Amino acid sequence: MDQFLQNYGFLLVTLVQQSLLAYSLYFPLMAGQLSLASPGFYALGGYIAAIMATAEYFAPWRDALGWGIFPLGWLAAGIISGILALLVGIPALRLRGIYLALATIAFVEILRVICLNLAITGGAIGIFGIPQLFESRWSYIWTFGPLLLLILCFSYRLDRSRVGRAFKAIREDELAADAMGINPTRYKVLAFVIGAVLAGVVGAMSAPFLNTWNARQGTFDASIAYLAYVLIGGSRSMWGPLLGGIMLSALPEILRPLKDARLIINGLVLVFASIYLPQGIVGAVGSIRNFTTQTLGIGRSEK
Amino acid sequence: MTVLLEAERLCRNFGGLKAVNEVTFQVMEGEIFGLIGPNGAGKTTLFNLMTGLTPVSSGVLRYRGNILTGLPPHRIAAQGIGRTFQNIRLFKGLSALENIKVSQHVTTKSGLLSGFFGTPSSRVEEKRVEEKAWELLALVGLSDRAAELAANFSYGDQRRLEIARALALDPKIVLLDEPAAGMNSSEKQGLSEFIRAIRDRFKLTVLLIEHHVPLVMNLCDRIAVLNFGELITVGEPAEVQKNRDVIEAYLGAE
Repeated sequence: MDQFLQNYGFLLVTLVQQSLLAYSLYFPLMAGQLSLASPGFYALGGYIAAIMATAEYFAPWRDALGWGIFPLGWLAAGIISGILALLVGIPALRLRGIYLALATIAFVEILRVICLNLAITGGAIGIFGIPQLFESRWSYIWTFGPLLLLILCFSYRLDRSRVGRAFKAIREDELAADAMGINPTRYKVLAFVIGAVLAGVVGAMSAPFLNTWNARQGTFDASIAYLAYVLIGGSRSMWGPLLGGIMLSALPEILRPLKDARLIINGLVLVFASIYLPQGIVGAVGSIRNFTTQTLGIGRSEK
Repeated sequence: MTVLLEAERLCRNFGGLKAVNEVTFQVMEGEIFGLIGPNGAGKTTLFNLMTGLTPVSSGVLRYRGNILTGLPPHRIAAQGIGRTFQNIRLFKGLSALENIKVSQHVTTKSGLLSGFFGTPSSRVEEKRVEEKAWELLALVGLSDRAAELAANFSYGDQRRLEIARALALDPKIVLLDEPAAGMNSSEKQGLSEFIRAIRDRFKLTVLLIEHHVPLVMNLCDRIAVLNFGELITVGEPAEVQKNRDVIEAYLGAE
């Protein structure tokens, strides 16, 4: 077991971490908003935690708080990401569909270039030698794991609550939702902020986990990867991002023996999944279940 | 009887087209008010002006003396004005039950955190939402299909579900845009009775757009006739039926 965790611990934690980032896209999508801003907030959260853990200015804090500096970093990352999301979201969410996606990509790029040029973020080199919270990589499951459980509970409750219904109504028909008394701007911004806070906290947790933090964290390709997790897992179910995140981030590792061919197979999986599973994997499982109960009469519950 | 809704010289231009032109009328509390007119007369545009979906070009709309013009749709809905759409705009990917739950938004107030933690007040509220949704589903005769997606419903059932969704707002006024479209004559008869029944039960004021003249004549207390964006006449069905301008608009001049 120890040997297994030695070899695969990092991968397992990465799967959880990537799924969490998938959720940061899932919440805006629940309100029908295609936002690709997550990597920006992820990078921001990571820088905040990295600076708090290394900068001279925070040394007295670290001495006073000990390991408590880490949770404080998550909190700071969440709050700052949330505030920034509010400021960016209010103007950006006036845009719809692909235009919003473009605006959020621009936001990620702007943030990246700023971090590349500031002294406090370590410029192109970034911040390295971030102090560790745990001895082994595998132990980071104790930060990402509980966060994932929290997010799963949150998604479950959200789906059945007033706010979640408002999100879904906006996704289905914004104009009709408006005519039914739902303020679309307010809930779109709220969904965007939830995603941003999550991405920021995940970034803050990832900084010690990855040991270094630089402008390569949180780039445009990452947005596309997170989007793929959600779409292929299923954007209409709370389990979709988890399934998509785990499967798609595990795939390159599982296919590692194939060497370079693995990237081709990875690409093919994405293409086929988007053609044949438009509702994602969770959606496809749902359709199969409907088919078996309605058409074949298997597994129908007695009323 | 008191005036509930009042339009004063309401105008809406689309480029050079005057879709609604200087329309002035009053709707009394508790009446069933019909809006008729040939295709393109501006009936749906007038509904959209009243619910804030289309901004007015000029003129004022008052509800119980408060000015509605300039408010966004959700603020107007929150004051108790519910509507259905000519081209049915249900939340198609949500279940019938959820469709009705959604529009109880303005009568509830549970937020993100109270919903997550399930505070006592949010639980009581959620239970009330659930009960009311079932009640309204039963009212339109769809309780046995509560979990089905709205997209899977037949045209007539979608229209009924949309009325239930509008009623979930706890409205004082409902605006029904061609509720009888696509129904046969016995269904239309049933619909008339249904509209009267909900008016009495929920103490509603009903505005409806309808093409089928016999239905409107039987159902409505008063009727407004629009043609080319202008209001030709307002009155009781018998008067309107005899009005020369109305006959001309519908049948053409001799």
